[in-house]
Amino acid sequence: MTLLMETDRSLPLVQLGISAYSGAVLDPQGKEGLTRLMTRLMRRTGDGLGPEVLDERFDTLGSAMSSDVSITSSGFSGSVISASLNAFVKLAQGVLCRPSFDSSELERLQRETIDEIRELKDSDRSLARMWYRTAFFGAHPYGRSVLGTEQTLSAISPDDIRAHYARTIVRDNLLLAVAGDADELRVKELEAALFDALPAGPKPESQVPAPVSLPGRRLLVVDKPERTQTQIVIGTMGSHPSDPDHTALVVGNTIFGGTFTARLMQEVRAKRGWSYGASSSVPFDRQRQSFSMWTFPQASDAAACVRLQLDLLRTWVNEGVSAEELSWAKRYLIRSNVFNLDTAAKRMSLLVDERIYDLPANYYAEYPARVEAVTLDEVNAAIRKRISLEDVLITVVGTEANIGNDLRGAVDGLSEYRVVPFDADPVSPW
Amino acid sequence: MTSSSTEQSTKMISRKPATLPSGVQALGRIPFGPKLGIDLYQLQNGLRVLLLEDHAAPVIAYHTWFRVGSRNEREGKTGIAHLFEHLMFNETTSSPKGEFDRKLEEAGAESNASTWLDFTQYNISAPSESLDLVIGLESDRMQHLVLREPQVASEKEVVANERRYRVEDDVEGAVSELLWATAFKEHPYKWPTIGWMQDILGFTTADCEAFYRTYYSPDNASVILVGDFEPASVLQKIQNAYGQIAASGRLPDAIVAEPEQAAERVVEIRKPTMNEKLNIGYHSPPLAHADTGALNLLCEVMAGGRASRLHRKLVRELEIASEVRLSLGPFRDPGLLEVYATAREEHNADELLKAIDLEFEKLSTEEIAPQELERARARFELGLLHGLENAEGKASTIGFFECLLAEPNAAFTRLEALRSVTVSDLQRVARRYLDKKRRSVILVRISEEAAEQDGAEDSDDEEGDA
Repeated sequence: MTLLMETDRSLPLVQLGISAYSGAVLDPQGKEGLTRLMTRLMRRTGDGLGPEVLDERFDTLGSAMSSDVSITSSGFSGSVISASLNAFVKLAQGVLCRPSFDSSELERLQRETIDEIRELKDSDRSLARMWYRTAFFGAHPYGRSVLGTEQTLSAISPDDIRAHYARTIVRDNLLLAVAGDADELRVKELEAALFDALPAGPKPESQVPAPVSLPGRRLLVVDKPERTQTQIVIGTMGSHPSDPDHTALVVGNTIFGGTFTARLMQEVRAKRGWSYGASSSVPFDRQRQSFSMWTFPQASDAAACVRLQLDLLRTWVNEGVSAEELSWAKRYLIRSNVFNLDTAAKRMSLLVDERIYDLPANYYAEYPARVEAVTLDEVNAAIRKRISLEDVLITVVGTEANIGNDLRGAVDGLSEYRVVPFDADPVSPW
Repeated sequence: MTSSSTEQSTKMISRKPATLPSGVQALGRIPFGPKLGIDLYQLQNGLRVLLLEDHAAPVIAYHTWFRVGSRNEREGKTGIAHLFEHLMFNETTSSPKGEFDRKLEEAGAESNASTWLDFTQYNISAPSESLDLVIGLESDRMQHLVLREPQVASEKEVVANERRYRVEDDVEGAVSELLWATAFKEHPYKWPTIGWMQDILGFTTADCEAFYRTYYSPDNASVILVGDFEPASVLQKIQNAYGQIAASGRLPDAIVAEPEQAAERVVEIRKPTMNEKLNIGYHSPPLAHADTGALNLLCEVMAGGRASRLHRKLVRELEIASEVRLSLGPFRDPGLLEVYATAREEHNADELLKAIDLEFEKLSTEEIAPQELERARARFELGLLHGLENAEGKASTIGFFECLLAEPNAAFTRLEALRSVTVSDLQRVARRYLDKKRRSVILVRISEEAAEQDGAEDSDDEEGDA
């Protein structure tokens, strides 16, 4: 078990994270949602106690503990008033090391999760992100849902949960991170208490292949009734820290859509008032993720907004950024980095990310120097190389009857057009 | 193991200015938790300045809180406080449009703002070496804002789109707006802070100028500075930047009181939602009232986390709800204690209402266990600590209570007061405020078009399980 620690005694508060180096990527096909179901069930059945008893004990200590699952990692995060740290760790140990996996609680959790999935469709923003991800990555693990579906959740048995637990909750697959009002000696004692109670075992292999972009310009409309507005996500493949031009692309994105005064926000919101928000990002996982833009104009402006965004993208790729913009972006990124480090919990989070995403040691500590070293040619070359103008996915949540025709007319060179109902199973439409 | 430490964060370096700048009055120092303190000052024009030194990180949080919100608006002009908040990021006589944000971003700073019923606040988080820039920009827009028609027109469109996002196409936002419009018939809390759509689209530049002249004056504002700064010089800088701004004098504050509600109000609406929902509003006391502590704890006992009474009953035992929330509005005037619940598939809002009523009735017939009260207090304290982790959180907490109660350290004094709240206090406030005659109920049904489209599912990831 890896231990990371950041001390800060200014508040009587300790924050803890217990992370596995594997996430929903290990869910077997047809049993998607297994990792999330397992971690939530652990949280509800630690030491054979029921969720009400566990929650009452966590609450009364002045603490909270929740489960976190992504494609790449899974685990728990918690916070506790420092005077209750020892008692909190005893409860957390029960959750991590001695869950009962009560079968009636599993059935209840399956029912709750199915309902949770249903309710997420109330959120147009969630729908847009969910369908974009599915349509962009298709069968690649990054395209799957961490929550699973009604069908896959129903297929998960208590034996599946126990087998997955035995495979993933082992010493070498776990990382303990502690931030806040706790000294090193005490934290090492707590780590030893957790470590001794865990079984030994190898870290399960959870690498995934690099995803690839689908060819062509594709438009997907998620049809939902009575929409006055649209949610639009437009993107293409991005980059990864192991790409030599990743930092240059991050700097370029800062100019394009990374801040309030970036090009996208200025053109969409400040000049035209079309959308309350307009931004772009270059996220990554252990592999490249998708570069994407997000806006939410009213239905009557949706087609014009898509056309404008594609124009802005083309200008960014073909003409690049200026020396003046680069100079400004570097100052912004380097100076604002202090807000990635201003609390112990944030500093701890960066250290955890370095491990979870297999980043080089000191990746974040050296980030300002990498930004400073980027040249104008490198930024413009990175944008040209990484951002495709041909392979672009446009996902729009809205009322198709009102927006479909205009949207199709707004995308030059459109190769595919699909419409899906908002409450359908999110499977790749291509 | 990787380890680092910020031990210096425990020390508060207190170097109060040896002599106060001319025109600045010291109002004293009050504790802010066990380790920190707030120094209070006032300029001659009435601007209150609150300083909290905290050298935990090389950053500052600079807040400006104006004592104006949607409660100060009138019929036909709803939403102007919020629209104006947007316009404050535009040009001034010495700074062209876009310059405010561009300069701050170049300095590595983040700025934002928010408007609610009782206040409008502007916040900037910046590296500590940018403090002079921040003081200059904030004081400039308090006195030299330029309002022009193109910017006002464009910002009206932005706000209209914000309203579509938060209300028109958002079930919970739309339901909340309807609840307050149902519960309040006279008091300005009856309209939403974002304003009615027709009012947003109807504002003129003259409306905005009048609002600016009336409410954006130093005697209607407090500046809160938290973080890594040098107190010996900062007061002089603030006096230099703000000291010449004229006070507005007497500010209008003629608010119509809400008449006592005499009978329950029930409204049904249809929305394109997957499941039925329920929103209830009970008239509740203002933030300054002594009962708010007990009511906050009552909310925790009833719906704070999975061990709470309503969660146990509605979500686990009956399985008729997927979530139940209670919240007490923290407002200057009497507001609402809200209940929000979502029905599970195959269940409906009427079942939720019936079950919630039964649980509320038990409060008058069954004892609240001391452990329930302890659990509620601990949850409340943890929530407070989470809000104070960085300079921004501290400034927000101070600014909120300064603006609403003129008690900048009220987060801690109110936490202390919670220690003396008893189970009988909780039962007393339950009897007093959870009165069916004084509540409004919104029942959300599934619209026919949405009901026709019903299928299987999927979703995004990683919600916590707490």
